[in-house]
Amino acid sequence: MKDNPINNSLGIFPKSWEVQHAGRIPGNIPIWVGILSELTEFGIFFAAYFIAKFYYPEVFSESPQNLHTSLGVTNTIVLLASSYFMAKAMSFIRLDNKIKCERYLWFAFSCGCLYLIIKTWEFHWNSLQGFGPSTNEFFTVYYYMTFNHFIHVGWASCAILWVIFRLKKGAYSSKENSGLEALAVYWHMIDLMWILIFPLLYVLR
Amino acid sequence: MKRLGSLEYYLGALIAITLFNTLLGEQFASTTLVSILIALTVTYKGFVVIDHFMELKGANKNLRFLMRLYFLIFPSMIIISAFY
Repeated sequence: MKDNPINNSLGIFPKSWEVQHAGRIPGNIPIWVGILSELTEFGIFFAAYFIAKFYYPEVFSESPQNLHTSLGVTNTIVLLASSYFMAKAMSFIRLDNKIKCERYLWFAFSCGCLYLIIKTWEFHWNSLQGFGPSTNEFFTVYYYMTFNHFIHVGWASCAILWVIFRLKKGAYSSKENSGLEALAVYWHMIDLMWILIFPLLYVLR
Repeated sequence: MKRLGSLEYYLGALIAITLFNTLLGEQFASTTLVSILIALTVTYKGFVVIDHFMELKGANKNLRFLMRLYFLIFPSMIIISAFY
């Protein structure tokens, strides 16, 4: 937000990055530093996936068939729905409708919890089938990626609870909602990472 | 404020594409064409979330460029990996 002091205090960016030239920053600058760091981290995982697939093509062709694809699809839909609920929460805070904003935040939180439950069940199911992080190169990459993503969904779900608490305290309104928007863009980033992880691990053979 | 109904339309499209991708992976042998189709749909899904859920369309053009670049690089690697 243009008038948000947290976006004007750093003064470390070139002029072309200033809000007047490049456009407003959804949320605030610190959350975007975090998001770009997370994208780098996941980018390294994706690079590791492609390198491992290059060296072990047969393992990466056969192993995805051992995964519970239905659970992967369900989790994809759950995360897409959570992103939708988060976007709705943002649209309602801009209308100063805090009741509906809170309702949609609870929906998003529920989706986060559902994702964690499904993922835990999937890890358990893998274990029952005899698959673990050391089974082969594919499963090593699978557990690195999905467990890392699992942790991100976990702490972002906790952040939703914090934002709901702040919303109830009257911290957000149609004029000042950068904290809520920061959470929203972070949550969408987590959804984006799953959009890449899902085809790599479950669909491509 | 977005026009009422546009978010619902995009959510429906994203779910439909996810199911389509899964069908491709499950029903057809993994060919180069399947990989290219999946890579293109992943790019589209990423762009939809970046522009309409994250609301970077009309916001900071540099952040939008970086996010969209991410969803060009890794789907491109899916296509390249199809030729392994």
